[in-house]
Amino acid sequence: MTATSASGPGAAADKRADLFLRLSELLTGFGGIDLLGTGLAGGYLRVVDDILPPGAGDELLAAFARLPAGLDRGAAVQTTILAHPKLGPVARNVILMWYRGTWTRLPDEWRSAYGTSPLDTDHVVSAEAYRSGLQWVAAGAHPAGALQQGYGAWASAPNEPASSPAAGQGAHK
Amino acid sequence: MSDQAVHDQSWDVVIVGAGVCGALLAKQLTRAGLRVLILEAGPDTASPFDGYLGHLEHFYTAASKGIGAPWPPAVSAPQPDTADLRTGGGYFVQNGPDKHASSYSRLLGGSTLHWLGVSLRMLPEDFELRSRYGRGQDWPLDYADLESYYERAEWELGVSADVADQAHHGIEFRQGYEYPMRRVPLSYSDQVLADAVDGMLVTVGDEQVPLKVRSYPAARNSIPRDGYRPAGAVDRRSDGQVVTRYTGQRCAGNTSCTPICPVEAKYHAGKSLEQADRRYLEVTAQAVASKIHVDPVSGMVQGIEYQRYTDRTSPRHTVHTVRARAYVLAAHAVENAKLMLMSGLGGENSLVGKGLIDHPALYGWGLAPVPVGAYRGPLSTAGIEDLRGGPFRAEHAAFRFDIGNDGWRATTGAPDTTVTDAVRRQGLFGTELRDHLQSVLPRQVRVSIAVEQLRSEKNSVSIDARYLDPLGNPRPVISYRIDDYTLAGMATAAEVCRQVLRRAGVEDHTNAADGSWFPEVRYDGQVFHYHGMGHFAGTHVMGRHARESVVDAGQRSWEHRNLYLVGGGSFPTMGTSNPTLTMAALTLRTAELMIAGLA
Repeated sequence: MTATSASGPGAAADKRADLFLRLSELLTGFGGIDLLGTGLAGGYLRVVDDILPPGAGDELLAAFARLPAGLDRGAAVQTTILAHPKLGPVARNVILMWYRGTWTRLPDEWRSAYGTSPLDTDHVVSAEAYRSGLQWVAAGAHPAGALQQGYGAWASAPNEPASSPAAGQGAHK
Repeated sequence: MSDQAVHDQSWDVVIVGAGVCGALLAKQLTRAGLRVLILEAGPDTASPFDGYLGHLEHFYTAASKGIGAPWPPAVSAPQPDTADLRTGGGYFVQNGPDKHASSYSRLLGGSTLHWLGVSLRMLPEDFELRSRYGRGQDWPLDYADLESYYERAEWELGVSADVADQAHHGIEFRQGYEYPMRRVPLSYSDQVLADAVDGMLVTVGDEQVPLKVRSYPAARNSIPRDGYRPAGAVDRRSDGQVVTRYTGQRCAGNTSCTPICPVEAKYHAGKSLEQADRRYLEVTAQAVASKIHVDPVSGMVQGIEYQRYTDRTSPRHTVHTVRARAYVLAAHAVENAKLMLMSGLGGENSLVGKGLIDHPALYGWGLAPVPVGAYRGPLSTAGIEDLRGGPFRAEHAAFRFDIGNDGWRATTGAPDTTVTDAVRRQGLFGTELRDHLQSVLPRQVRVSIAVEQLRSEKNSVSIDARYLDPLGNPRPVISYRIDDYTLAGMATAAEVCRQVLRRAGVEDHTNAADGSWFPEVRYDGQVFHYHGMGHFAGTHVMGRHARESVVDAGQRSWEHRNLYLVGGGSFPTMGTSNPTLTMAALTLRTAELMIAGLA
């Protein structure tokens, strides 16, 4: 018996990680390869679990897992998750974390309704999270102070932005 | 070297402060065979490359990425932080009526560790503002006196520029002179703006002035000329070993000149210290100069007392005294004045600390009609210099545009704030969010407009026994007011900024409510939100006569003839140039005078 057993705790963790990744694809507009390439997916799920009250992370993933398969998962995410009083602010924080590498303090209404954590402060998750923020990719640039483009690169016209793949949407049709 | 050994040595010169002036002076004096001790109030954490990378890590993980983010102070050497402006706390005691919105850092290397690197010469007319326009005061030196020192300063700092771009407003260069490195390439954003703006006429005073987007001289490593060897990263270990690093010989476009160049391609004072003759140099960090001892009859300095701490998190310290043949305060315009005042040396004319100036600066920002490639390249590479001089200075302040390559980072905290706005306020997510950011971020444009300020004795650094730091030393009490001369300059600057953005088809988004918080001033029914440029000057002014100044044209104290006060504090006026290059030129001139007197 190994940790890869289809029914063991490892499998449950894998399932959660996979759900988080697929949810992140839909929320950020970036594909799974881009997100996995940062090496931060697992860390971000841990941040969610560490900061939210027990069970809240699972609630988010369960809500995502229940979304109907089909073309319009984006609309479903909107109505089922982003418009949800408890799950919406959490999902928006997940987006901000991917783009900025920063956890943003949850809104006061959320905190009074669902609970507070001493870790729920505005903070950069890690130096790697800062450098891997998707905002720099979206800008067609590089993180300020890292991943330099090289002498004189700034004199050239910026690259045309890669057209957004239909992330998530395409993968889970 | 132990404090006892430092005390027992016979030094030719003791320098307070290991910033750009102290380091340049130490390099010149030691190369002339003079024995030099530097007392640096802050830690020496950036000289080992590992330590420097530690500062970089601080920057990456700081939630607020302001100018001080990579450079947290030691408890015993506190420093101003612009984040304190809003709360009223911090190191400075802001006595008003306006806030002095600048900061500096106390550690080995000083504020050159987080400066932008702009290395403009002052205009010839900046030295004779009183004679030409009836404003401010004349310097006891003119441009011709400083020209050869400007050349040397440009080679000491390693300035990249082309002479052809820089000969304007009467700035002259020696026939055949070249900057040590070629100009830093203009950013794509500069080129787009130049296409739209070059040649446009603006009315200032009675004149129509054509504008031009121009490369400015920067102390950032570019392609060298004439065998000049760019100085890259420093790696001096705590045991004194020096390791050669093949890093930082070119600017690599990290878009982070401030608050930290990750590869040390930009000048900082530690590079000059490495070029000193180390056989004759001792640098003692974590040593806060606390009193200048003076012979009451002759006025000559007899020694400098300092407080030495080993733990950067504690105010515990020991007190020592050093003696030398000559003494130099190179601690910063504010710290020099503070140390004089806390030693009871305010001067017979009470001018020490009086006349504090800065460049209060305005931001303008907007969205370009096409992607300009924001967030790439050095933080800025060009400016508009055309309104730095002219007859209008009889009426209002001159000003200078710096054109950013950093999107709205400085003005609003973008890209983070742009993302947060899109997600939280606009409710965007998924591909719509990504498309929105891909459209907006590369089009973000900002300019910063530094406005000239003239000395007034009402603007000052003073001390007050009620306000002390953890070592028991006085905190600087800052009295500061932005007067009508500068405010009228701001009004014109703001109008010219609107015209420039309109001409370039940039949708103006300048709106203080969306921007980061900055203090405000009011003028003629308008409200201006201003930030400081960190260009502290004027606090130990130089002049032709002892009755109207603190130091002479050689930055030598009139009252204490073996004491020199160097740096921006000596400036009678600052015009619109960032002061470091002029501070360096003056320091090289002072070094020459000192060597002639001491060798």
